[in-house]
Amino acid sequence: MSHIHLPDGILPVWLWVSGFIVAMLIGFILFRFTNKEALAKKLPLLGMMAAAMILGASVEIVPIAYHVNLTAISGILLGPSLIFMATLVVNIILALFGHGGITVIGLNTLTLSIEGICGYLFFRFFWKVLKRLTPASFIATFFALFLSTFSMIGVVGLGVSHYEELIHKDEGHGIFEFKLLKEKGDHHGEDKEKSEANFKRFIAIVLPLGLLGWILEGIITTLIMRYIHRLRPDLLGL
Amino acid sequence: MIQLSYLDYLAVEGKSFLHRLSAGWKIIGLLLALAGVVILRNIFGLLLLYVLLLILFFTCRLPLRIFSLTLYPLIFAILFIFVSGFQVHFILLVFLKVLSGSTGVVLLLGTTPYPSIFVVLDKFLPSIFVTALFLTYRSIFILLKVLEETQHALHLRGGFQWSHPARSLSNISNAFGHLIIKGIDASEKMYESMVLRGFKNKIHYRGE
Repeated sequence: MSHIHLPDGILPVWLWVSGFIVAMLIGFILFRFTNKEALAKKLPLLGMMAAAMILGASVEIVPIAYHVNLTAISGILLGPSLIFMATLVVNIILALFGHGGITVIGLNTLTLSIEGICGYLFFRFFWKVLKRLTPASFIATFFALFLSTFSMIGVVGLGVSHYEELIHKDEGHGIFEFKLLKEKGDHHGEDKEKSEANFKRFIAIVLPLGLLGWILEGIITTLIMRYIHRLRPDLLGL
Repeated sequence: MIQLSYLDYLAVEGKSFLHRLSAGWKIIGLLLALAGVVILRNIFGLLLLYVLLLILFFTCRLPLRIFSLTLYPLIFAILFIFVSGFQVHFILLVFLKVLSGSTGVVLLLGTTPYPSIFVVLDKFLPSIFVTALFLTYRSIFILLKVLEETQHALHLRGGFQWSHPARSLSNISNAFGHLIIKGIDASEKMYESMVLRGFKNKIHYRGE
């Protein structure tokens, strides 16, 4: 649910450029401090988990426009530093197939990484506390998705004034920039109210779907974890 | 995603002028189209861009079956109909941006074999990252094959039925679990064979 499905040209330039810069910075730091030999050994596993995430994302539940991410379980299996690279790869390939814009790759990598890294950390924590696989997996996935959805809403919220500009561009503001600016000044308060109303509408659509998604993905991740625990417990490193 | 192998087949077997054009030029072309999508804010300009991409699409003789791929991102754009409060101008703007972007990308993937794209990327991005990208792309084909086999088993166990949500969820989760375990097994075998063939953190493409 935390994947930003916005196409190119909707988010303001400063926002998606910042997303790219922060993602590159984090990627550079992780790459600098990761053992290259160990990373090379894990590349096929990273590729395979990234491919599983892509396949999961391509199975769309049409009425609620929801798809599983498998990011939390990938985070648990890959660990926090590899999941960042995996989400970057996943977002590039998904963007090539129109699943979120190419300009949104940086922001999507950041929000999905939050999901993967939190999934890993929460799972380790709840496993230590509860010592039971089912509740630890479900709670970890639920809260990881909860956090990443809110980070996605935060990112979308940062561009609200930009969307309003796009939405109300055709409302007779005139052709010339001077007139446009003047109009903007006259209706500044009204525009702000409209922006807030539309953003609230967005949250009202996303959160109920999100709740459904968190529960659904929580259940699916838990069942997958149980399946893996039954057949290959070594993969979970418990 | 299922049509990925078909897209690859078209990219290798196609004979149009775009197929013959170098991957570097096509990537520059895609970047220009994306710049247009980001910068343009009027419907006329975007319509012009989309029509141009459509002309390229049909002159390359890419089949209509592939054209459906360009429409897929519209599923996500539907949300904007509600968010904008049914503002026709905005909805058209978003739909044209979505369609232009996806048509550009499908044009690139349908006319360029993927190793050629990775050769270009390797010049600008860290090689370990391009290797990860390449392995992911290869792994999609491996997993699709496993998925195909798993689908039969899933079907025999009842598959996905809205009338039995609990059983369906369990079936889907088992299928994904099976996919992950098979995938990890395959990745371990793939790594061993890569090492045997001299893999050292970088994949060398033909012609390098």
